[in-house]
Amino acid sequence: MGACDGLERGEFDVRAPDEPGELAVADGPADRAQPPEETRSTGQAYAELRQRVEGGWEPRKFEAPREELGRFDPERAALPPTSLDGAADYVEEHRAARPWLTMADGASPEARRILAAMDAGGGHSHIRHEGWVTEEASMRRAAYLEDPAQLNSGKRNLGIDGVKPDDKPHRCASTSTRITDPDAFATAFARAVEHPKVREALDKPFDPSAKPNEVIVPIADLLGPDGHRYCTGWRLEPVDGSMKTAQAKRDTWLADRAAGREPDVPEPQVRPVPTFEGGAISFFFERNDAEKRYQIATMFPRPV
Amino acid sequence: MASLYWERHPDGPFATLIAVATTYLHPENYDLDSLIELAKREDDEEMRVFKSELREALRDPSQLPGDELWESVEYSDGSDEAFLRQLWHDLYGDEPLDAT
Repeated sequence: MGACDGLERGEFDVRAPDEPGELAVADGPADRAQPPEETRSTGQAYAELRQRVEGGWEPRKFEAPREELGRFDPERAALPPTSLDGAADYVEEHRAARPWLTMADGASPEARRILAAMDAGGGHSHIRHEGWVTEEASMRRAAYLEDPAQLNSGKRNLGIDGVKPDDKPHRCASTSTRITDPDAFATAFARAVEHPKVREALDKPFDPSAKPNEVIVPIADLLGPDGHRYCTGWRLEPVDGSMKTAQAKRDTWLADRAAGREPDVPEPQVRPVPTFEGGAISFFFERNDAEKRYQIATMFPRPV
Repeated sequence: MASLYWERHPDGPFATLIAVATTYLHPENYDLDSLIELAKREDDEEMRVFKSELREALRDPSQLPGDELWESVEYSDGSDEAFLRQLWHDLYGDEPLDAT
């Protein structure tokens, strides 16, 4: 029986990706070796510790430019009009089915309005590249192609995409990254929408079969000189000195495991991105067929 | 700061191939179906250039600029040639590479 057969029957005949390898330490019982007040899982504590030690990350609160965010016009990004009250209602109404909206609980009301408009507008950047995604989830995405947007844990373990229909495989580049603070995330988005390079893409004449090319904007342009401190990421370890090979081997390892075979390639290994200083934020676009316009499909930090 | 190949070299070799492949096939926004539809456009100048560059790259992958294709697209096929062969098959099926 293949992995997908088991999935249809609600069973899983593949090993969980966390059984072997160095990441196994991330998945022990949550009540083991933790101080009494620890509320994180062992895996989350492990990932955060590595991110602090190897990535130099310290959780910090971004000072939201609330007046500026209050002026953000969702229509400029082809998003539905959203008021402050409407955003609060939206989050309450949808938080059970769309748990990433819990990110809005820690956001300023102005940032919450932007996040709610993004969610209602169909983009997926806030689901995979924002603070709702824990360090552990980001780490596992890079290592095992587990999609944080996939709410079915069995499907997530099998690398099935949580946004695309028909159980398509999830894809991830060599690096999985996020902006760790909701106000920083909303600020980056709002400022990008008015950035000339992004604006040019959004304002292109609509073509129902095409879309604008990727655009990148320096993190510092969107979040200021310390903006890189609000970004974290996990990157595959090269194999035989090659990241290209590492990505190919990751696919092979996951395919072997899904088919119930003993992988004959090394388990994927990841480590925190050491710094985002000097980095950029990537923007990819998609068609908004109803509005006959383009919108931001996703955005994510990319290190140098 | 990181920059995009086709911005650094707008007239550089394979700039259209790399830009289009990145736009539709980067793992963060993978959309092969849209690229298949776009590839059917025979009157689209950008896609004509794209096909011509894809054909040229397949004939001699060593002509591609360094690791720019992988660094932009981040494919997981293992090599430029494997990626390009699969891409040609996905977009143009059994059409011979040597057709003009």
